[in-house]
Amino acid sequence: MTLRERGNRIARLGTVVTALALLGLAGVYVRAIVYTPVEAAQGAAQKIFYVHVPSAWAGLMAFVITGLLSILYLWLKDRRLDLAAAASAEVGVAFSAIILTTGPIWGKPIWGTWWTWDARLTSTLFLFLLFVGYIVLRGVLTDPGIRGRFSAVIGIMALFLVPFIHLTVYLFRTLHPAPIVLKPSRPSLPGDMLTTLLLSVGVFTVLYAGFLMLRYGLGLLREAREEELADAP
Amino acid sequence: MPPENTAFMVAAYVVVAVIVVGYAVSLLLRIREQRKR
Amino acid sequence: MGSTFRAAWHIAVKDLAIEWRTKTAFASGLVFAVLVLAVLFFSRDPTTVSATDIAPGAMWVTFTFASMLGLNRAFLIERELRALDGILLTPAPRAAIYWGKFVANLAFVGAIEAISLPLFVLFYDVPIWQRLGELILVIAMATVAFVAVGTLLSAMVVRTRYAELMLPLLLLPFLVPPLVAGVQATAPLLDGRPLSDVSGWLKLIAGFDVAFVTLAALLFEVVLDE
Repeated sequence: MTLRERGNRIARLGTVVTALALLGLAGVYVRAIVYTPVEAAQGAAQKIFYVHVPSAWAGLMAFVITGLLSILYLWLKDRRLDLAAAASAEVGVAFSAIILTTGPIWGKPIWGTWWTWDARLTSTLFLFLLFVGYIVLRGVLTDPGIRGRFSAVIGIMALFLVPFIHLTVYLFRTLHPAPIVLKPSRPSLPGDMLTTLLLSVGVFTVLYAGFLMLRYGLGLLREAREEELADAP
Repeated sequence: MPPENTAFMVAAYVVVAVIVVGYAVSLLLRIREQRKR
Repeated sequence: MGSTFRAAWHIAVKDLAIEWRTKTAFASGLVFAVLVLAVLFFSRDPTTVSATDIAPGAMWVTFTFASMLGLNRAFLIERELRALDGILLTPAPRAAIYWGKFVANLAFVGAIEAISLPLFVLFYDVPIWQRLGELILVIAMATVAFVAVGTLLSAMVVRTRYAELMLPLLLLPFLVPPLVAGVQATAPLLDGRPLSDVSGWLKLIAGFDVAFVTLAALLFEVVLDE
């Protein structure tokens, strides 16, 4: 199968999966807004939880997969691994954008402040910036071999950075507990809410898969184009 | 009485929809561009 | 093992010799340090924020940015002199190149810090003399972290046209844990607290150093492969 054929195939598959995920997302929206009870102490804003947490899950998954694919690429040197890692990185940036926007929108009514410098938000912020840098770096490197290797280095280092950022925030919080204006108690999620959350996590996972396929397909098509241009008389 | 903060919820849900749909569309457009020429 | 050490030493000496002859990176790092210290000093309300309050942050921001300036310049000089190609032709083991550059950068950044520190004491009037040893320990540990990652990244970034922009963009997220830990460890020390009070932060920097020095050394070969 030529590169272009494979790219088209994966792009088509990705379109279907993404379409399904979007339908699922609509379903989650309806279920969360209409059929899930409002949390008494926190109000409707608590429902942001149902899109914020699954995004965090998807974002983390995206960057971990980028890291793992990067290691595989350096080991096996298959260019497709590099394309897949880059695809996962871009998708991760998209999910990070969701986390970084819904986080403050959730934080303001629930915690009384737009930004909480908690471990997850802080890690996401720096991962977001780092992977924007990753994408910019790929943009300025023209040789595919160098581009792949350098990206892999960043992807692998990012993997190791995450636990240290978490540790840093944890230590900071332990030594300097922040005064919190509103203090929602940790809700032990009653059945309905848990189901909605799990459904949403499922949908976001499928969405990640769909986006990944589309972006990977795009990468393959671009590579196919490069080859075609190089072969052209 | 739960606090009145539905506006935040709506804002967040709209933002998520915009980013998700926006990214999907950007991917499809970029793929289409590769297929054309 | 022995040849790696010798090769690394030669590379380190060569790097520092080049820098000594040109002295530009060192000079710009120093000027930058003074400027940052001054700006941070003046960018506060002196009636509500004392110099000692912002001192740790100011010191560490200065070290961070002066280091980045220095790391980048060192590689740019090398590229201009096409020195990297020459090294790759030698039979020196690739790992030696990393260690050589690491040591050179460490010495370079260390020199900037060594001169910035008295300036810092001068401008901010902080009582560091009683805790000098412990402070130097914290600064050294965090500097190892900066230089370990910075050496690797500047080797990557020097190939691009936008090296000065890409280095901070890629490096700063990695500097967050050692930088935060450095500031958080410095403040109590300046306050007179014992070293044991900041052991948590020290362990964090130590762990980071071990992890990232190893990682950077291993990955450096990937960056050099032609």
